[in-house]
Amino acid sequence: MSSLNECTLAITDEDIVQAMKKIPGYLDITPSDFMEVYLVAFTHAMSRLKNAIKANQIMTQTVIAVYEDTTLLDAVKKMAVHEISGLPVLKADQTISGVISEKDFLKHMNDDKAPSFMRVVLQCMENSGCIAADFKKLSVADIMSSPPITVRGEMPVLEVANTMDQFNINRVPVIENDLKLVGIIARSDLVKAMC
Amino acid sequence: MKYFSKMKGGKQSPPKVNLSEIIWSWIGAFLGITPVAFLNYNLFSGDDLVFIIGSFGASAVLIYGAVRSPLAQPRNLVGGHVLSAVIGVVSYKLFYPYPWFASSFAVATAIALMHATRTLHPPGGATALIAVIGSEKIHALGFFYVWVPVGTGVMIMLLVALIVNNFAPSRKYPEFWF
Repeated sequence: MSSLNECTLAITDEDIVQAMKKIPGYLDITPSDFMEVYLVAFTHAMSRLKNAIKANQIMTQTVIAVYEDTTLLDAVKKMAVHEISGLPVLKADQTISGVISEKDFLKHMNDDKAPSFMRVVLQCMENSGCIAADFKKLSVADIMSSPPITVRGEMPVLEVANTMDQFNINRVPVIENDLKLVGIIARSDLVKAMC
Repeated sequence: MKYFSKMKGGKQSPPKVNLSEIIWSWIGAFLGITPVAFLNYNLFSGDDLVFIIGSFGASAVLIYGAVRSPLAQPRNLVGGHVLSAVIGVVSYKLFYPYPWFASSFAVATAIALMHATRTLHPPGGATALIAVIGSEKIHALGFFYVWVPVGTGVMIMLLVALIVNNFAPSRKYPEFWF
């Protein structure tokens, strides 16, 4: 939730005083009282909007996806070309099977230690090869996260945000009617929609 | 016609306060007016001294009823009343042969001066006007009017406001001193 509420609080006491100077006439409220009202009203409005706007109104509809049997090489190429950090994974019948993202790659590149990009770079620099070279033989299904966390189209944006925070994910596929993929929402979509 | 359309209003009015606010306003006002009224009616009733004037009722509305208003802050209460009292007495002394003019001049000048000194306090207008309207007792006070009833009265009411308003859990007074 904190990411969505970051839009608010750039306003300062000085902003308010300047605004009061610009508006002609005596405004019978102290700047600090105005700030108090503003913050409460803004939070109220954000909650209202977050409940009114639905997932299917802010999702990206043309979804770039891969299949369970797609090679990791092809999956990586796709992510690189489109400059995205994750993809939904589909079964042959177009229903959602899982999600593959940078996190999954990092997890499999660092065996027991905490997944970290820098650790991977370190390994690459210290060894004569890179650990990801072995991945060429694998397919998406081998390292994807499954079953996927998903949201439905009619879900309010507030719930989508909570879901992302709860499971600590950066993108969530939107499904309708028996796991059919209809769109995807990334964190940036949430922020763009609200601010 | 654009001029008359300015009178249309139509904007959102503020909401009602809750019961707690109403009760604390009552308590504050009662305890604030009591000392100045008591001084006036019981302690000094025979003298030429006046300890209570109508504008104190108006101040009570602000400092006990609308404690967050910028108009109710100590600077406004004290500054507004004292400045307006001076203006009122000056206006009476200069223009008493023309009471209508003295009245208008007193109120208008008091407002302008309060605006200029950031001490706008609606009861100040009344304090200025009372200096002109009188009673004769008030006229007789001359500039002493600024000290008694005005100066002492607002100090007593301010003290009560500081004590009583801050007893209320939902209240904090003042918002600012300067």
